[in-house]
Amino acid sequence: MRRGLISWSRDEVPASVLEARLARLQGKMRAAGLGAMLIYTSFARPSAVAWLTHFVPYWNEGLLIVLPTGAPVLLAAFSKRMQGWVKSVSHVGEVQCVAQLGRAAAKLVGERIPGGSPVAVLELDALPWLVAEPLADALGPRLADASALFASIRQPADETEIALTQRAADIATRALGSIPRGAERSSQVLAAIERSARLDGAEEVLSRLAPDLATGTALRRLEGDQALGERYAVELSVAYKAAWARAARCCSSSEPPSWSQARAWTSEWATRIGAVASVRPPGNTAFWSLEACVGSEPFSVVASAIGPRGTVSAGTVACFSLQLQLPDGPWLGAGTVVVGGNEPGRLLA
Amino acid sequence: MATEQLDVLVVAGNPWRSDYLRYAADLAPTCGQVFALVGREGQIQVIAEHPVEAKRFHSEQPDLRVSWSPSPIEEVEGAVGSLSRRRVALAPAAAAPYRLAAGPLAATLAPATAMLDRLMLRKSPAEIDALSRAAALADEGYAVFREAARVGRPEYALVAEVEAFFRSRGCPENFQILGSGREVRGMHPPTERRLAAGDLVTTELTPCVEGYYAQICRTLVLGSPSEAQLRAFSVYDEALAAGVAAVRPGATAAEVARAQNEVFRRHGLGDYVTSEYTRVRGHGLGLYVDGRPAVLEDVDLALEPEMTLVVHPNTYHPEAGYFVHGDSVRVTASGCEVLTRTPRELFSVRAG
Repeated sequence: MRRGLISWSRDEVPASVLEARLARLQGKMRAAGLGAMLIYTSFARPSAVAWLTHFVPYWNEGLLIVLPTGAPVLLAAFSKRMQGWVKSVSHVGEVQCVAQLGRAAAKLVGERIPGGSPVAVLELDALPWLVAEPLADALGPRLADASALFASIRQPADETEIALTQRAADIATRALGSIPRGAERSSQVLAAIERSARLDGAEEVLSRLAPDLATGTALRRLEGDQALGERYAVELSVAYKAAWARAARCCSSSEPPSWSQARAWTSEWATRIGAVASVRPPGNTAFWSLEACVGSEPFSVVASAIGPRGTVSAGTVACFSLQLQLPDGPWLGAGTVVVGGNEPGRLLA
Repeated sequence: MATEQLDVLVVAGNPWRSDYLRYAADLAPTCGQVFALVGREGQIQVIAEHPVEAKRFHSEQPDLRVSWSPSPIEEVEGAVGSLSRRRVALAPAAAAPYRLAAGPLAATLAPATAMLDRLMLRKSPAEIDALSRAAALADEGYAVFREAARVGRPEYALVAEVEAFFRSRGCPENFQILGSGREVRGMHPPTERRLAAGDLVTTELTPCVEGYYAQICRTLVLGSPSEAQLRAFSVYDEALAAGVAAVRPGATAAEVARAQNEVFRRHGLGDYVTSEYTRVRGHGLGLYVDGRPAVLEDVDLALEPEMTLVVHPNTYHPEAGYFVHGDSVRVTASGCEVLTRTPRELFSVRAG
């Protein structure tokens, strides 16, 4: 569950930016003849609604109803006493706290949308059944998927999103820098990261750790404490006001020489994502993936070493993860980049 | 599954609703959708949306057959299609995606979800042990919270200290909301608001151990409590005691709620136990932070030994603001065991 800082700074995220994003979506909706678009949110899938309204549910679920014109309506599965908080962190026309999202949405669509016009749902296939069932019962064949339509307007990122992502990246970088030298237990590493990132205002902190690179490179969500090997790796994903950045760090008491070479190569490679990754790595690339926000999840895999091989447009904020097999052993890296076009991309973390 | 004549159970999950997946396959997703196809003989096939998650699951449980796909729902559809002669069901309704739930498995969703719900209500000794350790951690976490609550600190700094403490103890997850101010109106995630002398500071802390959540709710004052705050607190303390006393096998969730609410009514505060001011008077605890049963006056689910829940008469008080006060309990053969041990008092923290 989210328990980091959630607040809406109008300086960092002006209402006019949210309105411009909404206008892009509504323009596409009108062109497609849609009567409404429904966008689901939970803390696991918060990104689309947050991008349009700044709302992130710290727990539970919501459904945003976007009409072809005007401000959207947010249905939130929160108790009535939370309505004021929801309004304080969201830029929407109306907030309704409801017990059953699907039923409330079906009722609202029935009252406000002309009969017969299509009602599109972002990621319809993935909509949780408790929400989807009343909608399917009420709207039947009027329901359509709008994932491609939404993806077509979601990227490239605007300057506001890039600035927030840079802040998230800075938080992640500082948190990784706070790892105590000579740490022997996973708990020492994770506690230091958590404290640093949350004191810096992180909305969310997700750490995965490969505790001993000599025995495995799987990044794990550790429960309990674990001894660290001489070489270990930490991957950190941080959200700041719904913008996500990812970074990683390999740690060792005696860093092998190839690691600095790997870092330099990765930085160079990352700025060329989207063009041709033509720079040769210092070892073998055992795995790589590229993730970007194209829908409701903060990270969706758009390309990877083992498929799919999608593309990202210039200006997209993306996170990469990779594993290199160096002469000294495995090395894990991750970072966040604004994908370049004719010019090189910009590495944020 | 044998009793229900099921060969394969498809369990859906994600970071928001991971409880059923954790129960059926001991998986805790950190991103994306994850599906476990659990066979009656114990074999499990896992389909994850992210490659790093797939690698992690395989590392944690080498016996699992794990794959990943950027289109996991289609993958599951294909996998289910290949089980043509076997009896397959889908669960839970809260996480099953529309495309699967509206397909051939539609009729199985409700009974399969109900089957898992029944199994998850009464805890095994190992589950009780994990929950008891989570409760002890909640007590320690609240001590850290009290220590962190100082004039001038922003709300989010308190959470940072508590989270760092939990990570230092190997606890990966916690649900926490709080409130602060002269008149707290409700609970929410932390804001930038800085604590001030005289503030009431409320929090719900809910750490988990091996996936099992336990909760504690307490209220403190920065400085000396006022007479009004002390008067208000005595009502919540009486209500919590009444609610805990009502927890026993055979009692319904409604009776536990009513025991708490009657205290407020006797004090002329009946308006403040309605949905205008409060949500529930407690709830089940387990692999989900807000499990069944909801402790409300219209919930007739009868309690049984080894169920676990939090009892909390949290609500707004017209003189003193929003108070929280609650403990985790385990239903025993004759009553209940209170798992959280932090003293039930209105804590006073030095304001200077």
